[in-house]
Amino acid sequence: MFMADNFFKMLKLFLFVQKSNLKTAFLSKGDALANVIMMTINNLSFIFMWWVIFQNKGTINGWNFGDMALLFAVMNTAFATFALFARGVQQLPEFIDNGNLDNFLVSPRSSLFMVSISESTFANWGDYVTGFLMFFISGHVTFANFWLFILASLFAFIIMYSLRVILSALAFFASDTQRLGDNIFMAFLTFGSQPASIFTGWYKVVFLTIIPAGFLSLYPVEFIKGHSLQALLIMGIGSIIFFLLAVKIYQQGLKHYSSGNRFGVR
Amino acid sequence: MTNIIEVNQLTKKFKLKKNNSGLRSLFFPEYKNITAVDKITFNIKKGERVAFIGPNGAGKSTTIKMLSSILYPTSGTALIKGMIPWENRKKIAGDIGTVFGQRSQLWYNLPIQDSFALMGKIYNMDEIAFKRRLSRLVNLFEIRDLLSHPTRSLSLGQRMRCEIVASLLHKPQILFLDEPTIGLDVTAKEIIRNLIKKQALEEETTLLLTSHDTDDMEKVCERVIIINKGKIIFDDSLDRLKQSYLSKKYIEITTDAGDKIKKTVNTKDTPVKQALDEIVKKYHVTDITVENPPMEEIIKEIYKRD
Repeated sequence: MFMADNFFKMLKLFLFVQKSNLKTAFLSKGDALANVIMMTINNLSFIFMWWVIFQNKGTINGWNFGDMALLFAVMNTAFATFALFARGVQQLPEFIDNGNLDNFLVSPRSSLFMVSISESTFANWGDYVTGFLMFFISGHVTFANFWLFILASLFAFIIMYSLRVILSALAFFASDTQRLGDNIFMAFLTFGSQPASIFTGWYKVVFLTIIPAGFLSLYPVEFIKGHSLQALLIMGIGSIIFFLLAVKIYQQGLKHYSSGNRFGVR
Repeated sequence: MTNIIEVNQLTKKFKLKKNNSGLRSLFFPEYKNITAVDKITFNIKKGERVAFIGPNGAGKSTTIKMLSSILYPTSGTALIKGMIPWENRKKIAGDIGTVFGQRSQLWYNLPIQDSFALMGKIYNMDEIAFKRRLSRLVNLFEIRDLLSHPTRSLSLGQRMRCEIVASLLHKPQILFLDEPTIGLDVTAKEIIRNLIKKQALEEETTLLLTSHDTDDMEKVCERVIIINKGKIIFDDSLDRLKQSYLSKKYIEITTDAGDKIKKTVNTKDTPVKQALDEIVKKYHVTDITVENPPMEEIIKEIYKRD
């Protein structure tokens, strides 16, 4: 009862913040809509390149363009969810370095939750457009598959968010980690945008652990296309483990937080 | 009266990396410990207005940040209403309000009223109670005309009034103010000081105010704790501090000929009013300022007498 009550309070706050984020984005409506359109075009131009490759090659290690479309559907939908509703965590190293985390720490809500919802990029609605469009052209459209696609995107979002929390929390332990975190996160997205079948042996181990991009590509495609229970379990357990690990590292990091009190020692 | 804040041997050390050049520092970095707060002990009773005064780098903000659950201490304990703040962050959040002079809790692009509404949601305030509370604070701090303005368009003084209202919306019993008058002009400082004191008296809010401006403590607080290099060097009533260390006033006048004349008055021998009367009689005054001795001078005086 208490947990349900708490959940609804968080949900109410979340929705209120999203309303405020939309209000901020619509301060300049023309810009906001143009950014969404440009984001969609940008995504589609990248996907078009893969379409050309598959037109010439047919398949890559067993993957065809339909599989790639499913990958992009999950990837873009997960990224849109991250960028629209949890992007604040990307700013965490900056908040830690300049002491702005203080405002979140005195709040009666979870500071990680408050940091996460504090930023939103309206342009990333274009990723939702791309994600849903890719699902509908993937050749795997059924009513059941649609819900599997939504579920796979949710797990992919949790992995993406957890990795970003871990990378951002490095700033508690060392200085100037923003660029390192951004680069690893970018590598994660880049690996996740490749046909999963090209990674074998040790590459596959790295692909599923250090840079867990397999959770964006390999398992979601196996799950939606083959209705694989194994893929569902791996995604479910993997995302829970990554999420708990991320929260633990963040909580440990708070003990090292110095609130921007940086003294220079020559 | 019971203690609402209890601090015992509280210490905070920061580990700082030395910026040595060369590859060795990359693999074997050297660290240096800086003691920002050094075994401080004090208690504050409910409704007390306490100034936490000291020069830059004395440890004022670090102490406030430990008490408001932002920082973990290196050693020692603190209790806010019987709870350890850094272990009960969410529980004590409803009992404390914080204002950081150099940081904003308001949304930069949104109208002030939207930021207040968000604070209401964060503290899970009932809609009717929130409106009633906001209306009272808006009247008290005279910010009705600012409500529809985005934060970015406010002056520093206006913004600070809104920051204080935001921190008081959930009716905290303790208000931590970290340099609330920093960067403000004389008039804005005076307004903020009066409003803080008025509100604290009306609601019996416990205040802990840090500043390096001695006027802040004189106008708002009844008790003063002076901290220097992480250690408490004075903890007594404002009256006692005035009698012992604030007996000097610096008066600066500008005459109609443009000359600037500085006078030092010992208020134990000559009341300020008498000194001003004599100056006005003697010179054609166009401008006049009366100031307390700077913090550094008071600290020097305390050390000298000890």
